[in-house]
Amino acid sequence: MTDDDLNDETGGEDEEDFVLADLADDELVEQMHDDLYDGLKEEVVEGTEILLNRGWSAEKVLNEALVEGMRIVGVDFRDGILFVPEVLLAANSMKGGMELLRPLLAETGVKPIGKMVIGTVKGDIHDIGKNLVAMMMEGAGFEVVDIGINNDVDAYLAALEEHKPDILGMSALLTTTMPYMKVVIDEMVKQGIRDDYLVLVGGAPLNEEFGQAVGADGYCRDAAQASESAPRYLKKRREAIGA
Amino acid sequence: MSSRPRRKRGAGREAKRAARQQSSAEVAAWIDRRIPYFEVLDEEALELIEHNADTVLEEIGIEFRDFPRALDLWREAGADVDGERVRFPRGMCRSIIQASAPREFTQHARNPARSVRIGGDRTVLVPAYGSPFVRDLDQGRRYAKIEDFQNFVKLAYMSPGLHHSGGTVCEPVDLPVNKRHFDMVYSHIKYSDKPFMGSVTHPERARDTIEMARLVFGDEFVGENTVITSLINANSPLTFDETMLGAATVYAEHNQATVISPFLLAGAMSPVTVAGTVTQILAEALAGMAYVQLVRPGAPVVFGTFAAAVSMQSGAPTFGTPEPSLILYAAAALARRVGVPFRSGGGLCASKIPDAQAAYEAANTLQTSALAGVNFMLHTAGWLEGGLSMSYEKFIMDADQASIIGVMLRGIDLSENGQALDALREVGPGAHFLGAAHTRANFERAFYRSIVADNNSFEQWEQDGSLDAAQRANAIWKRMLNEYEAPALDPAVDEALLDYMTRRKSEFEDRDY
Repeated sequence: MTDDDLNDETGGEDEEDFVLADLADDELVEQMHDDLYDGLKEEVVEGTEILLNRGWSAEKVLNEALVEGMRIVGVDFRDGILFVPEVLLAANSMKGGMELLRPLLAETGVKPIGKMVIGTVKGDIHDIGKNLVAMMMEGAGFEVVDIGINNDVDAYLAALEEHKPDILGMSALLTTTMPYMKVVIDEMVKQGIRDDYLVLVGGAPLNEEFGQAVGADGYCRDAAQASESAPRYLKKRREAIGA
Repeated sequence: MSSRPRRKRGAGREAKRAARQQSSAEVAAWIDRRIPYFEVLDEEALELIEHNADTVLEEIGIEFRDFPRALDLWREAGADVDGERVRFPRGMCRSIIQASAPREFTQHARNPARSVRIGGDRTVLVPAYGSPFVRDLDQGRRYAKIEDFQNFVKLAYMSPGLHHSGGTVCEPVDLPVNKRHFDMVYSHIKYSDKPFMGSVTHPERARDTIEMARLVFGDEFVGENTVITSLINANSPLTFDETMLGAATVYAEHNQATVISPFLLAGAMSPVTVAGTVTQILAEALAGMAYVQLVRPGAPVVFGTFAAAVSMQSGAPTFGTPEPSLILYAAAALARRVGVPFRSGGGLCASKIPDAQAAYEAANTLQTSALAGVNFMLHTAGWLEGGLSMSYEKFIMDADQASIIGVMLRGIDLSENGQALDALREVGPGAHFLGAAHTRANFERAFYRSIVADNNSFEQWEQDGSLDAAQRANAIWKRMLNEYEAPALDPAVDEALLDYMTRRKSEFEDRDY
């Protein structure tokens, strides 16, 4: 599907040619929400550039144009309006805008929304769900380090050490591999680093109770809910530790 | 980055929200079948049943009760008429039918895009018929009123999986028996543009149905085309009665279609075996369809079958059981050998509420009917309690299943896009297809999306109120009725229909018989 096809789909009776740069700020932001919704990466990147050129701060572009746009995408994904392939396109468009913003955010010392290390646990090579979570988290503005499948304790600890994320995400599809999450968390406790991270777990055979039992901070039932709730968990945590 | 001109934003999100909350089912006037029939009997076995049916027709015969005209026609045709019992030389009924009955026919709808082709490799799905009660989650079980009747006509009109408006979608018992047909026919015409079935409870009511159709389609059109298909039941075993013969005769004389349906509760109205019941069905259907051809050669007839098994413990009819499924498969094959369209099936069940029993039993009969090759599937949606009750919630659940049947019968897409080698090449081992170009080009229509099923996570389902299928269906039919918009009807036609009804209703007293 090309961008033009998507434009055709969304063109209504009132369609007319226009140029993004001609739009007033508020119209442009609204347009970017729609373009994110329709997965138009090129347009989202262009809109990001225009706002930056108009003197908007990277933080303001991030929050008002991109994060708000993806919030709408998340709501409609949860409600069954948007389908998975469309959400992947939207998240990819968001990522395009974020690539422009990330160096600027770092320069100005603005605290990023957050950084996540994510991977499936030892013995589990089922990664489609984990990949969806990673895409949605990127869509929500997180920097995501995907360490792939079949991670043992050492692999997780090495990734935490190297990337210094805010969040550790662990995923499992099998009832035989999900207990390994507890092995990882127990080791973190033992090493005295458990409270340095927000630990989120997910996967089909898990539930809220299991997440608590293994000592995670939260259980995420699906990708949309993970990206929706992660910022909340993080905010609560940051407030709690006074960061 | 170029600031290329592009289109003004449309209502992207709103439009998508509206579209995605509707059924994804394709809207088609009927289903074109592209998969083989499921056969349970071989050639030798079918010939045995046909031989036995001829034996029944020759030795035992069929009664045509209180209808001398039928006896006259049979006598002229060379049958042996003894009192009201008619016995037929071997092969006579079959050859009368095969000489003139169409293999398939078009029933025209007032909207030509909704006209249906009945017969051959086609399937037309039709709502349930005849329930005195209606049921919903809010008000429970109660006698049906004309308002319920209109509601079901509206729901059928809005259901993409249903191709026909049906007939007595429920019995409006708030209206006098001898006048309710006016309001039923008018409701089908007014609130839907799909084809409909006519009144069969009296020859006079059949004539009223035809008169009203003339006001819609024009005298000339009705003279030359089929615009009504009506249900004529045999009074099994081996009997046709005055009421049904009267209505069948009127419709046949006007070249309108009749579904000649042996109605068997096996064990009570036919033998307790599958082979015996199928034999009786064939004998009754052959005699009824041949009679219609004697009235008017070439008038469309459909070979009907309604078969259920009676509980030998209680005498109650049972549904979704294996023996009637075997009967249905065999009868469908026999109808194809006669060379006429076949009616059977539907979402039959004995359950009182839209629960697991209702769903299992209905799924069994719907699947059987689809695989057997039913052309006109009466009772597809709404049926509960052996047909005593028409359920709003089950109607929605069944209409969803109707759309599934449409996808199933269309078979496998073997086009280049269907073969999907591009997708396999693009993704390769170990990755996922969710973002592949082929997926993006096809995902919206790739898989049937149920409007009733909940596939969310446990937590989301719980958050949404832990609703079961019937509760979800309850919200759907209410939303549909709320959003219903009537199809346009020429005001002059509407007025003519209302005038006709008013005039005819004033010509005789209300009666409840």
